[in-house]
Amino acid sequence: MRVTPEDGIVVVTGAGSGLGRALAHVFAHKGFAVAGLGRRAEALEETAALCPGFFAVPVDIADAGAVRAAFATLPAPAVLVNNAAIYPRRDLLAETGESWAETVNSNLNGLVNCTLAALGPMVQRGQGRILNVATFADLNPLPGAAAYSVSKGAARIFTRALIADITDRFPGIVVSDWMPGMLATKMGIRDGLDPATAAAWGATLALLRDPSLTGSTFEMDREILPPRGLKNRVKDALLLRRRRPRVLSDL
Amino acid sequence: MSTLADHGDAPEGGWDALVIGTGIGGGTLGRRLAEAGMRVLFLEKGQADARSAENGLSEVALPEARAVRGLWPAPLTATVDGITQRFFAPLGSGPGGSSVFYAATLERPDRHDIDDTPGRPHPTGGWPLGFDTLAPSYAEAARLYRVYGTPDPLSPEVPLPLRAPPPLTAVEARLFDRLQRSGLHPYHAPTGIERIDGCRMCLGRKCPKACKMDGRSAGVEPALATGRARLVTGAEVTRLVMDGDRIAAVEATVDGTSRRFTARRIVLAGGALGSPRVLLRSACEDWPDGVANRSGLVGRNLMFHLNEILAVWPGLDGPPTKAVSFRDLYHRDGQRLGTVQAMGIRASYGEITYYLQRMLEGTRLAPLAPVARLPAALAARLLGSAQILVGLLEDLPYRENRVGADGHIHYTLHDELKARRRVFRRALRQAFRGQRGLLLGIAPDLNWGHPCGTLRFGHDPAHSVLRADGRTHDVENLWVADASFMPTSMGVNPSLTIAAFALHVADGMLGGRK
Repeated sequence: MRVTPEDGIVVVTGAGSGLGRALAHVFAHKGFAVAGLGRRAEALEETAALCPGFFAVPVDIADAGAVRAAFATLPAPAVLVNNAAIYPRRDLLAETGESWAETVNSNLNGLVNCTLAALGPMVQRGQGRILNVATFADLNPLPGAAAYSVSKGAARIFTRALIADITDRFPGIVVSDWMPGMLATKMGIRDGLDPATAAAWGATLALLRDPSLTGSTFEMDREILPPRGLKNRVKDALLLRRRRPRVLSDL
Repeated sequence: MSTLADHGDAPEGGWDALVIGTGIGGGTLGRRLAEAGMRVLFLEKGQADARSAENGLSEVALPEARAVRGLWPAPLTATVDGITQRFFAPLGSGPGGSSVFYAATLERPDRHDIDDTPGRPHPTGGWPLGFDTLAPSYAEAARLYRVYGTPDPLSPEVPLPLRAPPPLTAVEARLFDRLQRSGLHPYHAPTGIERIDGCRMCLGRKCPKACKMDGRSAGVEPALATGRARLVTGAEVTRLVMDGDRIAAVEATVDGTSRRFTARRIVLAGGALGSPRVLLRSACEDWPDGVANRSGLVGRNLMFHLNEILAVWPGLDGPPTKAVSFRDLYHRDGQRLGTVQAMGIRASYGEITYYLQRMLEGTRLAPLAPVARLPAALAARLLGSAQILVGLLEDLPYRENRVGADGHIHYTLHDELKARRRVFRRALRQAFRGQRGLLLGIAPDLNWGHPCGTLRFGHDPAHSVLRADGRTHDVENLWVADASFMPTSMGVNPSLTIAAFALHVADGMLGGRK
């Protein structure tokens, strides 16, 4: 079960740079019409120059009203990739309420704004795909990454809350998290992965819409299963239902 | 969002008929009236939902979350044999009512369910409308609900007009064969599903297409399509405003605002638990015991069915079936028992856990309920490919079994019912002797999804609430079209009977139009 260009457009947030631009590139070359959201119009235009069928949607995703207005002009989205995030390196003692809120507004509220806007048409059709670009930063927050860790961790909780609210009603809307890995982007590390490599995985995952993917977490190209306690592992073994992580190349 | 139109701006007056409730009763009746040219306003307590929704019944707890799923928002409070329980019943609230969650089984009852027949005396002396009088309405309901299936080979009656059923699956063929070899007479259960392209057999859950025929797809939606009907959702009727023996207005809370709607005819179709509550809550100076309640019977004679759940192993793995039904145990040794049918589920871990826990509840073993998970896990391994059948045991009317103005249910399991249950279980064991089958229940299991009888119809105003045509004895512009009218609960699912009666009531209303 794969999304096709006939199903609708792909929306990528944070499409003006890094992984977002690379994702837009893959979708565009697979024949999809791609709407790229981002704050900087000129950066989006650079992406557009690389991607056939790309249209730039300059908008600050932290602005709920602007996001609603932007989506209202778009054709129905088949796929939403919530990729946009900011990563200010800042010691917590240097944060102010305002600087903190800016990160949360972008990384959490921006993701929520885009998701809510995309859900309208997806619910109407009972079909859609939402892929949230996520991180394990919340598990062991690094010094200097408090706002990022908290906001991205909260975004993972949002994924679960979204599933709790919609999946029983609209199982055709498939929602999951994806950890792209450490990338050689402005946000990532110098020796990281080529964003094009990660984008190929991310786009493949975003175009899979088997309902069993809802609630799954993929890291790079393979599934990360939720940790199971000893009791449950024994039960799984007894019931012959030990789960194996899925790998993108098999799907 | 794509929803059934929510006409919150619908005019409050000038309607030919105002229908309260949009389940199979209200939906079917409203459709008939609108198609015949009447202007119809539906008031539905539940919320409009996206048409693409496909959730089933669930134990989701927050009332707001239940409401958006079309589930009855509040738990039911029931005192059964003196023990009070609160639980979520398998009831819907929203366009289509409970029927959006049903398994589309549309069985016509046997003659003895309705008539007093030789050898099979009727407990109430017979319904005021006989089997033959209702037969055309049953046939019409079967056509409207696109029912397919095969006739009951044991029935001497003219069969319902049934569409050809789909061919039997391997599992179904095996079940038919096994039952026939045991001397039973299975038939393809009458089922109200259009089977359009991409049909996913939405048994027990909302169908996202106009494919499963329910109060929405076979009722409200065709009614709205006439252009003469409107639907207001989120409209909870608070009371009927009386003017002597007529209803002057229907008061409802819509989005937190109290509004008054008026129409020449009012139809109450809030279900056997909902409709009597509206009448009782509307008590006023002229109607101290509740509207249309001079008989004192409003809310009384509440009946359910008793479920006898049975796991059967056809010896083949396959998808769950709903296709098998038989009536060999329907009436035995002079006793009213009931039909046996496939439930459309397979025994899975969750279901078996549920039944084991329900079996333990209310017994001294209740503290063991969590432990039921372990045997359930084993059972799931063993029963993996079992199909679940249910025997529906008829319940009989007792005045003290009732629902009150507050919705509280009081119910006593009478010795007579318990005795018939023993007969039924014995008959079920005999029927499945030599086959791999297992009765899953221990304690009597009331079917909370099949309430009926709380506004029974009859000729005598002292002993019934409704007249034979569904109009109330006491209030001249009030009709009822839901499971409340049934004087007895029959040995089959109530859905087709509700639809047939709704059509009969609608025809009477249309005949008396001038």
